Amino acid sequence: MQYALLAYARPEDTDRASRPIPGALAALLDRPDVTGWARLHADESATTLRNDDGRMLLTDGPFIDSKEYLAGLILIEAGNLDGALAIAEEMLLQTRPGTVIEVRPILDGRFRGA
Amino acid sequence: MALDAAFRDQWGRVLATLVGILGDIELAEDAAAEAFAIAAERWPRDGEPSNPTGWLITTARHRAIDQLRRQQVLAAKAKLLARDLETASQGPEALMDDAATIPDERLELIFTCCHPALALEAQVALTLRALGGLSTDEIALAFLVPFETMSKRLARAKNKIRDAGIPFAVPPDHQLPDRLAAVLAVVYLIFNQGWGGGRVDLAAEAIRLGRALADLMPDEPEGLALLALMLLHDARKAARLHDGQVVPLDDQDRSLWDTQQIDEGRALLQRAMTRRRTGSYLVQAAIADLHLHQPRDWRQIAALYEALARQTGSPIVEMNRAIAVAEIGGPEAGLAILDRLDLHHYRYFHSTRADLLRRAGRHGEAHQAYRRALDLAQTEPERRFLADRLAEEAGYP
Repeated sequence: MQYALLAYARPEDTDRASRPIPGALAALLDRPDVTGWARLHADESATTLRNDDGRMLLTDGPFIDSKEYLAGLILIEAGNLDGALAIAEEMLLQTRPGTVIEVRPILDGRFRGA
Repeated sequence: MALDAAFRDQWGRVLATLVGILGDIELAEDAAAEAFAIAAERWPRDGEPSNPTGWLITTARHRAIDQLRRQQVLAAKAKLLARDLETASQGPEALMDDAATIPDERLELIFTCCHPALALEAQVALTLRALGGLSTDEIALAFLVPFETMSKRLARAKNKIRDAGIPFAVPPDHQLPDRLAAVLAVVYLIFNQGWGGGRVDLAAEAIRLGRALADLMPDEPEGLALLALMLLHDARKAARLHDGQVVPLDDQDRSLWDTQQIDEGRALLQRAMTRRRTGSYLVQAAIADLHLHQPRDWRQIAALYEALARQTGSPIVEMNRAIAVAEIGGPEAGLAILDRLDLHHYRYFHSTRADLLRRAGRHGEAHQAYRRALDLAQTEPERRFLADRLAEEAGYP
């Protein structure tokens, strides 16, 4: 089985960009059973994408949790935010109505080939 | 720091070039501010350099390099600047003569500031800061928010541009229409804020931005049309107020209209019309032009509002069409259109309705509508005008 561990932080914790990962945690992330990890920029850097009858609606900021549950995680590579939004848009068009994709830049991370 | 007008004309150009070189708005802004402060001190004493823009860019670049060295930041950034370090050692004079070779990157900067991944209020503030050169203080004052709020809003937007990777680029052709529409919307929003409020001269700021856009994108009819629209509206500025009270267009002293600005607006409108694309700003500019003629051609005005209403689906446009229809078919015809609109939160809806009710002789209802309009009025001149009308209506049984 593979699992995704989803880490949440308090809203006042926004200075991660300038703070290194603590040594003990870094060691854990290096374990062979960790197949990949990513540290994300704070939610202020997020852009949320909704499909409104085929029209893409962008909003500044994170997806505000309501009834929807976190359903998946896709890691992509793009030149800039426009590139990332284009990919997200393409995928969103193939999902069920009501799906929302939040685009968040990755601060740092490590990914292992499948 | 507040820059005076002559300086501010250079700000956008200088900042845009610096963002292009440094890839970071915050760093570029700090460096530009330092360069402008040095200029403010030296130019009055030593005389203005032959190429002020080149001087400011070179000086700011030196400041940024110093700053990066001090901070010992990312090697990548330092590498990016290595090329610049070589020219830097030649002193600012090295760049003085080739002003023409410094690319104008204001368009890239505008599209960055008005990126749809930023909240609209952040786009507006950032555009006024980055392109207009207004200080955080001035922007906060113009939008009646505390300095701290505006300062946070700007900082957040700049962080997002950096962290999320919002590109410093003119969008590709397939995205250009949407993205340009967003830019024009920001400029027009700034203009309208200036009209309604009359605090910092935001209308003048919007016109300056409009001129820059018309210069940078001379083939975009909607950009030209927006500038025409703003110039035609703004030309009546001096006649719009009398004794601290709003003056309706028909009662305005036309000798106070700025004819030079009207001519400029009309010339731009003509240029925009030759492009054979009827965007919403083009229609609005054509309507603004028709309003300046005497007598006004209400049939044509009504027809253009109808076209605009179809294009935009905006109830406010329908409201304006009702005014034109009332001129053709009488106030009841206009009121019939207003009755279908859900604009009860909108202050001008009530003053418009009140005026038509008054002309229809429905004074009791007119009184109520003026009352409501007065409650919603946001500026003193509007309040005075409405209070006068309200008092007149109170005279009827």
